[in-house]
Amino acid sequence: MIARIRRAGLVLGAGLLFAASSALAQAPAPSEETPEMFPAGPNRDEAFYACIACHNFKLVAAQGLSREKWGETLDWMVTKHNMPALEAEERGKVLTYLAETFPAKAPAQQGGWKNPFLN
Amino acid sequence: MAKQERSLSELYGDDPERGDALAFGRRTGSSRRGFLGGAGLVTMGAAVGGSIPFSDQMPAGLIPAALAQGAPPPASPAPSPAAAAPKGPQLLDFPGKAKGLVLLGDRPLVAETPEHLLDDDTTPFEKFFVRNNGLTPDEFKEGDAWEFSIDGEVNTPLKLKLGELKQKFTHKTYRMVLECGGNGRSFFQPQARGNQWTNGGAGCAEWTGVPLADVLQSAGIKSSAVHTGNYGADQHLSGETGKDAISRGVPIAAALEPHALLVWAMNGQPLPAIHGGPLRVVIPGFPASVSHKWLKRIAIRDKEHDGQGMGGTSYSVAIKPMIPGGKTDDSNMRTMTDMPVRGIITNPANGTRLAAGTRKLALRGAAWDGHEGVSRVDVSIDFGATWQPAKAAEPRNRYDWRRWTAEVELPSDGYYELWVRATDSKGRGQPHVAGGWNPQGYGANPMHRVAVLVG
Repeated sequence: MIARIRRAGLVLGAGLLFAASSALAQAPAPSEETPEMFPAGPNRDEAFYACIACHNFKLVAAQGLSREKWGETLDWMVTKHNMPALEAEERGKVLTYLAETFPAKAPAQQGGWKNPFLN
Repeated sequence: MAKQERSLSELYGDDPERGDALAFGRRTGSSRRGFLGGAGLVTMGAAVGGSIPFSDQMPAGLIPAALAQGAPPPASPAPSPAAAAPKGPQLLDFPGKAKGLVLLGDRPLVAETPEHLLDDDTTPFEKFFVRNNGLTPDEFKEGDAWEFSIDGEVNTPLKLKLGELKQKFTHKTYRMVLECGGNGRSFFQPQARGNQWTNGGAGCAEWTGVPLADVLQSAGIKSSAVHTGNYGADQHLSGETGKDAISRGVPIAAALEPHALLVWAMNGQPLPAIHGGPLRVVIPGFPASVSHKWLKRIAIRDKEHDGQGMGGTSYSVAIKPMIPGGKTDDSNMRTMTDMPVRGIITNPANGTRLAAGTRKLALRGAAWDGHEGVSRVDVSIDFGATWQPAKAAEPRNRYDWRRWTAEVELPSDGYYELWVRATDSKGRGQPHVAGGWNPQGYGANPMHRVAVLVG
C-alpha cells in the first residue's frame, strides 16, 4: 500500500510538470502500467501481458465478469480484435486470474435480490 | 507503426521494460499510475452523515446516491500534502481539456464528463467527452487539403478535399447531442462488458459543416443503396495496418436526414484534433460511434455494413429480452439505431452540502433523446414518490438537448436525493433501474440521482 501511495505521488508531480509545458499538438503518451499495479494472484503476469498489447489493463480491471463471460470476452477479442488465440493451458491461466480477481460483483443496487433465472 | 507482436510472455518475463521497447518501440516513462483501490464499505447512515427524511420511500436495496456515485472533487481544493494519495476517480490530463473529466482509460483514450460539468447550455470543447476506439492519431496537418472519398452504390464516386467541400456546398450549423452508445453502462446489474460510463459519455455542441445528403446527392445515389460504411484514419489498437479502429454505418435514410453533417467546426472553432479534426461526420440520434472522426471515406453499401464494430454483440441490443447476465445468442441481437431518453441534473452537484435551514433549492440540467424529442422533464425529492414538472427550454433545432430548470422545497434539514426523469414524445420515460440488459451494455438510462445534505 505504501508503494502505491508513493507511486500516486509521482503521478501528481508528473501531472503538474506536464501542465506547465502543455502547448503540445500531440496527445500525451499513454501512461505505463505494470502487473504490480493490479491485485496479486496466480497468473497475474500471464493475464496482464495477454491484454496490454492493445489496451489498458485498467479497462480489464474495471470489469466484473463470471469465468464464462471472461471466456466469451477472450473469444470476442480473438474474432474481432486481432488477438492471437491462446493455447489451452495459457488460456486457462489467464481465465483463472481474470475470473478470480475480477469476478461478477454482488448486485449492490438490488439489495440482495437475486435473479431467479440465474444460479 | 510496425505490426506489433503479441503474447511475448517470455520476452516480458525476463525484462518487461525491454520487452515493451522491443515489441512496441515504447519506453516506460517516469510516471506510473497508481492502482486505485475501491473505497471500503461504510455504514449508510454514517457515510451520508445525516438523517434521510424520505427514507421510508427509498426503494429497498437502492444505496444512497452519495455512496453509489463518486462525489465530484471540491471546487477549490484545499492545499494538501504533496504525497497525499489521489481520492476518487482518476482525472483526464490532456491539453486544452478541463480538469475534472474522468479518465476511463488512456489506451484507448476514453474520458467522460461528470454530470455537474455539463452545466453549460452548449458544451465547450474543454468539457466535451472523449471516446476513441483506436490509437489516437497525431494531429493531422492537412487542413483544407484533407481528402476523403465517397464510393460504392453511387453514379459518380467522389474524391473531395475539405476546401472543396467548404466551397461547393451550403454550410449549416446545428447544436446537437453526441452520445456514446454505452452511456449509462455502469448502471447495469450484473455489470456489462466495456467502459463503465455513468451519464457522462455525452455532450451537446454546435457543429458546422455541410449536409451529408447534399454531398451524397451530388455523387448520385443508386437505387441499390441501403447503408453507409464509414471509415476514419485512426488505426486499430492491435496496430495492424489495414485493420480499421472502427467502421460503422447507418441506414441510407439516416445519412440523407438533413442534420447529418460533414463537420469541420465545433462551437465556431476549427474542429479539434481529439474530436476528429480536420473532418468528421456527425449523424445525430445514433450511438456516436457512427459519427466517425478523421473521416476518410464513406462507402455506400447495398446491404447493412459489416465493418469493425458492426454485428454480433457490438452496438447491439437484444431482440427478445434476455436474462441479465445470461448466455449470449448472436442471432437475438440487433444493431442499436436510436439512443434512449436521458435527463441529468447539472446543478447542484452530487454530494453538495447546503447551509442548515435551506428550504428552497434551484435545480437545473439537460435532457435529450435519440430521434423523437423530449416532451417533458420531472423532478422528485422523495425517491420518486411524488413528482413536479421542470421548465424545459425549447431546443434550437432537432437533436438539440433541452435545458431545464426547477425549484424544489425541502421540508427540513437532512439528506435528500434529487431525481430527474425525462420523457420522450412517444411517452417513454426513464426507468428506476437499467433495463434491457445486453452483453455489451447499451442503452442504460435509469434516472439520474443527486444527493445533497442540508445542515
